[in-house]
Amino acid sequence: MKEKLLKFSWLVLIAILLITVASVLVMKKYSRLETNLDKYMPENHPAFVYSNKAEKWFHIKDAVVIAIENKSGVFNYSTLKKIKDITKKLQRMKEIKRTDVTSLYTADNIVSSEGSLDVKKFYKRVPKDKESLENLKKEVENNEMIFGRLVSRDETVAIILARIDNDIFTQEFYNRILSMAKEYEGPEKIYVAGRPIVEGTLAYLMPKDMKRMVPIVVFVIIIVLLLVLRSFKSTFFTLMVVLISTLWTFGLMAALHIPIYAVTTMIPVMLIAIGVAYGIHLYNHLQLFIKENPNASKKEAVHDMLSEMWKPVLMTAITTMVGFISLLTSQVYPVKYFGVFAAFGVFIALTLSLGMIPASIYVFGMPGFKKQAGEESPEKSFYFRATDRIIKAKPIILIITILVVGISIYGISKVWISSSFLAKFEKNSDIRKTDRFINEHFGGTTTLNVILEGKDKDTIKKPEVLRTILEMQKEVEKLPLVGSSFSLGDFIKRMNKVMHADREEYDTIPDNQNLIAQYLLLYEMSGDPENLARVADYKYKKANVTFQLKSDDSKALKEAIAVIEKFKDKLKKEGIEIHYAGSGYKALVFTDLLLEGQIKSLLLSLVIVVILLTIMFKKFSIGLIGAIPITITTIVTFGVMGLLNIPLSSTTALISSIAIGIGIDYAIHFIDRYRIYAARTGNKELTSRLTMYHSGRAIFYNALVVIAGFMVLVFSVFPPNRTLGALVSMNMLVSFLGTITIMFIILYIKNTYFKRRKV
Amino acid sequence: MRKAIALTLMVIFIGAGSLLMGGEKLTGLDIMKKVYYRPSPKDMTAELVMTLINSNGDKRVRKIRQYIKDYGKVEKKIMFFIAPADVRNTSFMNWSYDDPNKDDDQWIYLPALKKIKRISSEDKSDYFMGSDFTYDDLGNRLPEEDNHKIIREEKLNGEDCYVIENTPKDPDYMYSKTITWVVKGKWIGIKRKFYDEDGEFLKELTAEKYENIKGYWILARVKMHNVQKDHTTVMELKNIKVDTGIPDRMFTERMMKRGVR
Repeated sequence: MKEKLLKFSWLVLIAILLITVASVLVMKKYSRLETNLDKYMPENHPAFVYSNKAEKWFHIKDAVVIAIENKSGVFNYSTLKKIKDITKKLQRMKEIKRTDVTSLYTADNIVSSEGSLDVKKFYKRVPKDKESLENLKKEVENNEMIFGRLVSRDETVAIILARIDNDIFTQEFYNRILSMAKEYEGPEKIYVAGRPIVEGTLAYLMPKDMKRMVPIVVFVIIIVLLLVLRSFKSTFFTLMVVLISTLWTFGLMAALHIPIYAVTTMIPVMLIAIGVAYGIHLYNHLQLFIKENPNASKKEAVHDMLSEMWKPVLMTAITTMVGFISLLTSQVYPVKYFGVFAAFGVFIALTLSLGMIPASIYVFGMPGFKKQAGEESPEKSFYFRATDRIIKAKPIILIITILVVGISIYGISKVWISSSFLAKFEKNSDIRKTDRFINEHFGGTTTLNVILEGKDKDTIKKPEVLRTILEMQKEVEKLPLVGSSFSLGDFIKRMNKVMHADREEYDTIPDNQNLIAQYLLLYEMSGDPENLARVADYKYKKANVTFQLKSDDSKALKEAIAVIEKFKDKLKKEGIEIHYAGSGYKALVFTDLLLEGQIKSLLLSLVIVVILLTIMFKKFSIGLIGAIPITITTIVTFGVMGLLNIPLSSTTALISSIAIGIGIDYAIHFIDRYRIYAARTGNKELTSRLTMYHSGRAIFYNALVVIAGFMVLVFSVFPPNRTLGALVSMNMLVSFLGTITIMFIILYIKNTYFKRRKV
Repeated sequence: MRKAIALTLMVIFIGAGSLLMGGEKLTGLDIMKKVYYRPSPKDMTAELVMTLINSNGDKRVRKIRQYIKDYGKVEKKIMFFIAPADVRNTSFMNWSYDDPNKDDDQWIYLPALKKIKRISSEDKSDYFMGSDFTYDDLGNRLPEEDNHKIIREEKLNGEDCYVIENTPKDPDYMYSKTITWVVKGKWIGIKRKFYDEDGEFLKELTAEKYENIKGYWILARVKMHNVQKDHTTVMELKNIKVDTGIPDRMFTERMMKRGVR
């Protein structure tokens, strides 16, 4: 029998090793990081479908912005030459289409005098003498389409825009642009910014930072595990459970050819937080058993460990998996993947805990628990005393809980949503500094495209429609975060003025629609028709109004949209519908979807957890009591976010999943022990003390390990990971405290498991 | 008339031209000169239907009445828009000079503004009326401005063609090279491929219809497809009349204002 078990254990361990090696090999071959943030978007969502169509109609693309600053003004030979050279170099890059590069060098200058109309470039050969430089300066100042758009109004900065397709950006490409641009530095300063860079860098930095931080997290966890488990073997196998389950999960992902998304890089983090618990609880039980039965054999010890602990461990795993699987309700594919694979990882961690840990004990022997100096008997232990104190402090705990929950609910009312990608970078990081710099000098780096779609052709040629569009632009531009805007109306105004010898009183939309049509024809014949294609479609049914915003935050976007929506009725009368497009808008919709999904799945998993607990413990009241720690944790998490002004974003929203996944584990272990001791002792006080001594301790260890591990992330260089670290740590702390205080108190007060028994 | 390829007339005296060829070995330049300098009618009247098709498949169709007359050192052209209705009677006049150093004179008349404006455009690489043709593509480029090399001879649409590679002498020119298919004997280019400054394939011109009117070979329908922008222009000439003796007063500002009759 013993031999058989030993053989079987070896088999289990070897099988695990083989699968792990296979996983690593598969990962090496197929693992791919998805850095294109567009791939996160639910392509079938109507808002995305429309935006993608509009992007095609109007050639809407995000632009890399290269800014060149010369404090003594850009109108000198050297700076103008640099603008020309950088423009040409960008145009020659394989990833960029020639016509997608815009700068003072490529721009058309349409000027007119009484009898003539002149279409020319601002410069071709770089002007050298004072007079031509002065002329060029005047021409720029007189051209509203250029001044303040390609050259800043204080004339110290000029920008070069390179519009690129979404899927083109890579870190290598960015570096190439950066090193190319930096060659032109001095005395001019060169800045490189733009949404493609923000997105690209983000998608690249987040996993990179994770890669750097995870080993440190693991290291810290090892230390703390050693301290609490006081055994190398226990620490080693607890850790192995987590690491192997992570490897298998990513191996499966690779085998299914599913790329690694920024969200899924959080899976190791989740598995560390959740997976160590199984090992801790098992070894904790083993340790206590050995202490009580010092002469027990390996087989007896393992048998006791499994028979006493398989149920709560299984229950915690199931509830955690349910929490993750509920993420399938999300409309965002990477989040669905995250949910499914995190659930898979938890399942593996469970299997390994119940398989590998016993097998390892058979094969490598019992973990040698180091005796702590002055270890006392249970009766005198810290846990017993703590239990008595907690019971005594009942009223205070209740009041504190109510207060904390109250304040948190107030905090929740202040929670705001951020779709900002920029906010994920350090305030004084290059990316944000550059962004601020460009926002100071130009309209803004974030684009909101408003698509006006009429029913009939030529709708947007109508003078009254163009005037409404301009009026709308003016209203929106009043918002502090909106820098500039651009539409077909601006073209017509400019043409009207130019055709009337630059007289200011003609800087308006003419009343005659035929004249508008003729201006457009003239522009097509003399200017770059590509510019028109960006503001109006071929049939003049649809228009694209572009707003430049100085912030990529949902707040700024929503404010602008609120003003735009005021023009809905007026435009409706002309048969025009308002739609939105562009990456900024998509990010906004995406964030809303993500959060909607998160909140839905949170509520759903809460309900399911209550049902599961009710089934497991065969008492509805227990279902409700068990849900207390997670409910409190969730409320406190969101409350703290509101109070500390941490916005809900794609990363922070996922943290609520951990709240459920972990918080519920604490509750299950505690309640299960409480139930067992209640049945064994029939004494409420003793049950409480013993539960605290057994489960309370394991929960405490578990919380300690994970909090210590996640506090490491607070030192990450990547702000979202810092937030993640701080919030998960807080989550664990609240779950832990909630379980051993308020949940325990309610369990205690309610006399559950003691009702038919006289104490 | 010197315009080589597109909407303008492409003409040849078939008899004389083809008989002379005999055993003579032609160079690339010889062939391009034959195309460029071949005799042409003194004037032409036609209706031009210009269709622009963008990458979404949307179309803009314009109908234009045009008159062209060759004065030897200068070629004058006047165009009146007939459709769409909102630009009807907009007119455009162009005087193009033999002297390569002299820029074209251009005027535009907007009826809604009742004003004539001279347009000065210094740029030969400008696109013609929002189309995929630049002014140069329409035949303003002298053969001497490029180096020519016959790369092969082949049949295209049943015609014996010379395939000629044209490389500009000016390295900063908008095309790094073009490849032209010239029909032997007819001396018309029926296909041309354009490569941009970086050597990438940019656009392709095809003559979809060419007919012989009064002994002149005329490209009646040409298509230019810009593959990089996925934008296409089709220009079709209808009701072509040649050598009708268009009076000189046709090419005046007064006529521009008068509009289509």
